[in-house]
Amino acid sequence: MSAGPISRVIELGAGRPTVEVLEAGQGAPLLFLHGAGGIPAWEGALPLLAREYRVHAPLLPGFGKSTGLECLEDQWDLFLHGFDVIEALGLERPYVVGESMGGWMAAEMGALRPKEIGRLALAAPIGLWRDEAPIPDLFGQMTHELVPHLFHDPRCRPAQAMLAMSGLLSDKDDRSEEQVEQLLALARGFRTVAKFLFPIPERGLEKRLGRIAAPTLVVWGAGDRFVVPSYARIFGDRIRGARVMMIEGAGHLIGLERPEPYAAALVRWGRGEG
Amino acid sequence: MKFSWFHLMPYRWLPPDFRQRYHGVWVDLPNRLYDPERGHQLYNEYLDMLEYAAEVGFDAVGVNEHHQNAYGMMPSPNLMAAALARRVPNAMILVLGNSIALYNPPTRVAEEFAMLDVISGGRLIAGFPVGTSMDTNYCYGENPATLRQKYREAHDLILRAWREREPFAWNGKYTKLRYVNLWPQPIQKPHPPIWIPGLGSLETWDFCADHGYNYSYLSFSGYKRAQKMMDGYWARLAARGVEQNPYSAAFFQQVCVSDTDAACEREWWPHVDYFFNKCLHLYPGMTGAPGYMSEASLRAGIVSQVGNTGLNLGRDKSWKELCEQRYIVAGSPETVRQQLEELAKSLRVGHLLFGCHIGSAPIELVNRSTYLCATKVLPALRPLWSEWEDCSWPRALPAERRVQPGSQSAAVRQGVERSAGAAS
Repeated sequence: MSAGPISRVIELGAGRPTVEVLEAGQGAPLLFLHGAGGIPAWEGALPLLAREYRVHAPLLPGFGKSTGLECLEDQWDLFLHGFDVIEALGLERPYVVGESMGGWMAAEMGALRPKEIGRLALAAPIGLWRDEAPIPDLFGQMTHELVPHLFHDPRCRPAQAMLAMSGLLSDKDDRSEEQVEQLLALARGFRTVAKFLFPIPERGLEKRLGRIAAPTLVVWGAGDRFVVPSYARIFGDRIRGARVMMIEGAGHLIGLERPEPYAAALVRWGRGEG
Repeated sequence: MKFSWFHLMPYRWLPPDFRQRYHGVWVDLPNRLYDPERGHQLYNEYLDMLEYAAEVGFDAVGVNEHHQNAYGMMPSPNLMAAALARRVPNAMILVLGNSIALYNPPTRVAEEFAMLDVISGGRLIAGFPVGTSMDTNYCYGENPATLRQKYREAHDLILRAWREREPFAWNGKYTKLRYVNLWPQPIQKPHPPIWIPGLGSLETWDFCADHGYNYSYLSFSGYKRAQKMMDGYWARLAARGVEQNPYSAAFFQQVCVSDTDAACEREWWPHVDYFFNKCLHLYPGMTGAPGYMSEASLRAGIVSQVGNTGLNLGRDKSWKELCEQRYIVAGSPETVRQQLEELAKSLRVGHLLFGCHIGSAPIELVNRSTYLCATKVLPALRPLWSEWEDCSWPRALPAERRVQPGSQSAAVRQGVERSAGAAS
């Protein structure tokens, strides 16, 4: 396994957020946009991608050392912030991989400035809504209730690790200082997610999908019970020339549950091998 | 001291296996459990209780706002207050309150409160809660990350709407209005007293201190568990050089009075049990949407559990435990008097809000309790804090300038109902 990432903090300037970026690997640049859980550990698909790419993984305000959520008042500020980060990183028409919430952001950015995104991979992106396939409430359930929605196999190791974190949320009054900080960090990140996506994670993306020009891979866990795979077809139909791929044995958090086939698909897509 | 009689208006017929079958009393409890005809009975019974409390000597009658909640059936407290304003001639009308960030535009609150103040002849106490996360975020879909900012803006807009005498433009972040021009205006100048229900955050204390508002602690866990928080409030006022007037605080305490301590347990236990073990069955996944709490409050809650009601809700406690730990103040008039005196002195509160209706209690029990309170308990407590001026009380029109409901029709009835042609 490759070494962990280097963290650096970038100031975007007055009135704009401060961004922590995790970076690892050598090769062509890959911009990784994380999901609602942030990047608590350099695990899953990330180290695999770093074997082939120079991975840049910026954290949204509220996650890690990134701050300045108050500078981003709405989704448009958020998407512009995404372009500010691309510019600050010196990337030209990068390959953008976004997972879940990050997939929504990547799709929106691809629709907003189609010429500035070189290639796209959307991994179980949120952003659409069908009444017949409602997305479970991300903001009104406890961790142990969410986990079965997020993993194909809730007994898998990453699912169990997530459940262990929820033990910290109990009523007990005996947490260490480190655990208190851990809980607060979770709460900060989740506040960011809520700011842009509460209470229903749909903000009009569907009508903009046709504007995306980048070659786009839509990759989905075949066992996704959070955003069910029927959404993959909508993305596939609305994005010109998109390719849809299902990963067997994966739930919503594909990168944690089935990192190898998922990372391999992302690498192939990045090379233009589809 | 002053005494308000406060109703939550719970639904009375939650099934015996409620806690096993449903994960909570709020937000997503299926409304098939609600029978509107029983609701008709309840609303009228509950309004009767409030009217009776005013009749026997409580200084104010109080209502509040909850949504999709089986223990609080007043999505619109202003409707209840309007009904009370006509049927309760002298007591004050405490609306605690309107969750002002939920109204679009918030001038709706300024209008309705002004209407209530005018109808009642200046007897309104205007409560401005942020509102619980269940109400504001989960039921009304307000964004938890921006709720408090929106609340502050709504507050500023309402206050200005009450103050200005010329139309003005409001270019806010959450509300943009080209013409704000309130008709009617409240009778009380510059505005009705404002009470802020809070759970102990520093920012709420400062907000009250800055504006001269009453800080109201609405607790279901009783006065002993409120000590730390109220001490914090008074210390904060002292640190900021603000006078520690007991009337700048209010405290809600559930109270039941019977003729003897033993009778009280016998008569009240089923209804108290219903409240603590059914009404307060809250689903932990919805008590605080992400971003609802400020980071400082969250940290305080995580570190010390102050303000974390999750631990303090009184579930599965015996009557004896609930009494001893003062979740409820219950017993004979003398027992209750002693404990409420201790409450008032230890918390330094000038305004006591009585939760005299608890859980599933029926009117004969509640009104007896109310009557015993009014006749045997309140007179002994009333002189407390008399050296202080009440800074949080309505300045109503004097009684002789207030119009009594029905009086004007009565005055003209004879002429109006004359037989045709009789006047000529």
